[in-house]
Amino acid sequence: MPALLTIEHLFKVFPGQVALDDVGLMIEAGTTHALVGQNGSGKSTLIKILAGYHQPTGDQGRATYFGNDPAGQPFELGDGRSAERDGVRFVHQDLGLVDGLTAVENLALGNGFTTKFGKINWRADVVRARQALASIGFESVDVKVPVGALAPAQKTGVALARALLGWEDNAHLLVLDEPTASLPASDVRHLFEAIRRLKERGVAILYVSHHLDEVFEIADVVSVLRDGRHVTTERVDTLDHDRLIELMIGHKIVQGRSGAGPAGDEVLVDVRDLRGGNVHGVDLQVRSGEVVGVAGITGSGREDLVPMLSGQRPSATGTVEINGHHTDNYAPEDVLRAGAAFVTADRKRLGLFPLMSVIDNTTICDVGRNARRTLLDKRAERVDAGTWIERLQVKTATPDVPIATLSGGNQQKVLFARGLRLEPRVVMLDEPTQGIDIGAKEEIHSLIDQSASQGAAVIVASTDTDELVRIATRVVVMRNGRIVADLVGDSINSVSIERAQLAIADRTGENATL
Amino acid sequence: MTMTSEPVRQEPAEEFLELGPPPKTWVQKSGLDKYSALYLWSGFMIVFSLTQSQFLTWTSISLVLTEKAIVALLALAFLIPLVADTFDLSIGLMMGFSIAITTALAQNTGNPQALNALIAVAACAAVGFVSGFIVVKLGVNSFIATLGMSQVLAAANILISGNRTINGVLSETYRDFGRTKVFGLPLYFYFVILLALILWYVLEQTPLGRYLFATGGNADAARLSGLPTDMIRWGTLVASAVMASFAGLIHTWKVGTYSSSIGPGFLFPAVAAVFFGASQLKGRPNVWGTLIAVYALAFGVKGLQLAFTTGTAWIEPLFEGVSLLIAVALASRMGIIKVPKRKRASDESASATSEPAVTA
Repeated sequence: MPALLTIEHLFKVFPGQVALDDVGLMIEAGTTHALVGQNGSGKSTLIKILAGYHQPTGDQGRATYFGNDPAGQPFELGDGRSAERDGVRFVHQDLGLVDGLTAVENLALGNGFTTKFGKINWRADVVRARQALASIGFESVDVKVPVGALAPAQKTGVALARALLGWEDNAHLLVLDEPTASLPASDVRHLFEAIRRLKERGVAILYVSHHLDEVFEIADVVSVLRDGRHVTTERVDTLDHDRLIELMIGHKIVQGRSGAGPAGDEVLVDVRDLRGGNVHGVDLQVRSGEVVGVAGITGSGREDLVPMLSGQRPSATGTVEINGHHTDNYAPEDVLRAGAAFVTADRKRLGLFPLMSVIDNTTICDVGRNARRTLLDKRAERVDAGTWIERLQVKTATPDVPIATLSGGNQQKVLFARGLRLEPRVVMLDEPTQGIDIGAKEEIHSLIDQSASQGAAVIVASTDTDELVRIATRVVVMRNGRIVADLVGDSINSVSIERAQLAIADRTGENATL
Repeated sequence: MTMTSEPVRQEPAEEFLELGPPPKTWVQKSGLDKYSALYLWSGFMIVFSLTQSQFLTWTSISLVLTEKAIVALLALAFLIPLVADTFDLSIGLMMGFSIAITTALAQNTGNPQALNALIAVAACAAVGFVSGFIVVKLGVNSFIATLGMSQVLAAANILISGNRTINGVLSETYRDFGRTKVFGLPLYFYFVILLALILWYVLEQTPLGRYLFATGGNADAARLSGLPTDMIRWGTLVASAVMASFAGLIHTWKVGTYSSSIGPGFLFPAVAAVFFGASQLKGRPNVWGTLIAVYALAFGVKGLQLAFTTGTAWIEPLFEGVSLLIAVALASRMGIIKVPKRKRASDESASATSEPAVTA
């Protein structure tokens, strides 16, 4: 097969992190090319540079596109227009559809409506939408209802059809970024069928996925990224699961701290048969002094566990007991009152009061502590907050500046201060070091150690396997909404966690991967 | 292979964040941003006292202070929910509602005047409670909910008053409240100052005030911090209704007349003053900034009215309109009021740093 797109010497550096380190890739026409790697391996960055959302660092990066021109033409990395011109199309994880509009209208966005005398020619647009959907096997989609009312698989079909619209010939590249993340098991087949049809037409597909079983089913070739480097590109039929996992995590086996902090006898968190969102029946007990890591790929239920336990999101059924208080389906204030504190994964949207001062952000959960009757003693509050700012080494010019002026790591430390100030017996953390630099990450890890050694029960959900290995005394791995592995002591290492969360997912169970 | 000679391009926003707050510009150093209303006020005072002989007289000063007491109080009414990021556009007609009830009861019953006033306040509080229900429980945007409620109040006012002007029904002892002067200013002026003091205390010196600002700053984060954000927003709408009813009572002391034209016209200057005031002193909606804005504009209008001796009716709306536009433009630039903004480069780098999570 001839090369369709080649990429060479691609670098991308974010502050404090090298996301892509001299990456090269060759995608052939008419093949399905899978791109795999752990979280933070650089997959998303690569896709975003192709789409023009990020710009490459430095100017060594070269890309050549051989679509209509055997000699090849330069492809501007980091320029969305280049992708547009050469017919490289994207279906991102969230699909990017407007739920309130019909399939016909969604297809017209970005491609233009067909017009007749300046008026939208609806009939032509409807025909166009039906044809586009039929060509990839989605004849059954009703193109005249808002896409919000369609089934997840049909929505994926609409997004695919939109990406494909207007392709004159077939020497093109379609990039699918985690297309099955929100797809029920039964619908994945449908998507694969569409992909096979496209392949027959000569379309190249770059398929990004966490599900290794999908890679083995649909891909011809797989490229592995690890820590921003291109490890290898191999034909899928020369590999097996274990070999692929090994390539993804390398020989570096990060070992947990064996024998750290003995767990106490007191069960502080007791979860029974919790269901809701992507969680389909979780039982979990956490004792004082324990740091329980929760691992799992996105969609496994890992991302819903802390929001449900902390009252941010209602659960469907099941019981939750925190520090002896029943808190199932209670609001955040009840969870706080039970003696728990939590830090949300979405710092910007759910954590910060951006325009309020560092002091105000620290004390907000219990402002009354520094008040006599109704009068707030601002000097006492300043001392109170100052103690925490110092203890957590928050770097801020003064504690009076708006928290928005701090770096991400320091903002996160303030959110930790907010929670720890309540002297919680239970600490629940969701992606605690997401998007912050290495130094702050280390400091937050030692804070978690300290909390546990002082007798708190700590739950940490994280996509960062190495982080879990570093801090957890026990790791539970989630898959398909359930806990499938409970690792302690020496069995906590990056290989065992990755194996447990990537093992062949059970695609037969109804809605098992919803 | 690693990078050697290539200079690493820093994301500008991240660099800025590491440095802490940006250096102050000359505008900030001079205080032109946070004290612009005071500068403006002094400017008016100087220019008009030099050009207009009647400007700097006690008569005109006390007249402006007295005239604007109602607008000032109504502005405070608008301020309370705004702190919690909730709009109450019904305050103008709420004030009319309070006047209509007070005067209609005086006309039709033999109640003591104080009881009538109390009933008016209670009725306004009840309407504020209903607005709160619509906003919190039915999830209607506060802007729309209170806009709708003000039309309902307009209808109620017509029914209560029989669509007529009510005149000369209030007892003389009641009206005397409006005539009593202390240090040359009517009693109700001090009443407004007292309410402003109480509001300042609550907003700036108590935990409750902090919860209001937190709710306004990020309602989701406030809820996750254990704050009863729904009750807070509900409460602010009741409080603003009560404040607006007080403004109505002052009007009955001062003028003693109900007519359907009273009320709606007061909304705009009040809103303008709150937004202008939000850019003052603190960089967020606040009591003293609001009062300064009310009076800076009022003295400006007064001076211009003296300068153009005839046909001066256009000055006030022009002044208020322009000041609202400038104030909101200023405030949204400073990030005080939430206005959807164009995606900037800084957003990209912010999301870039959270790369590992996005890959999930």
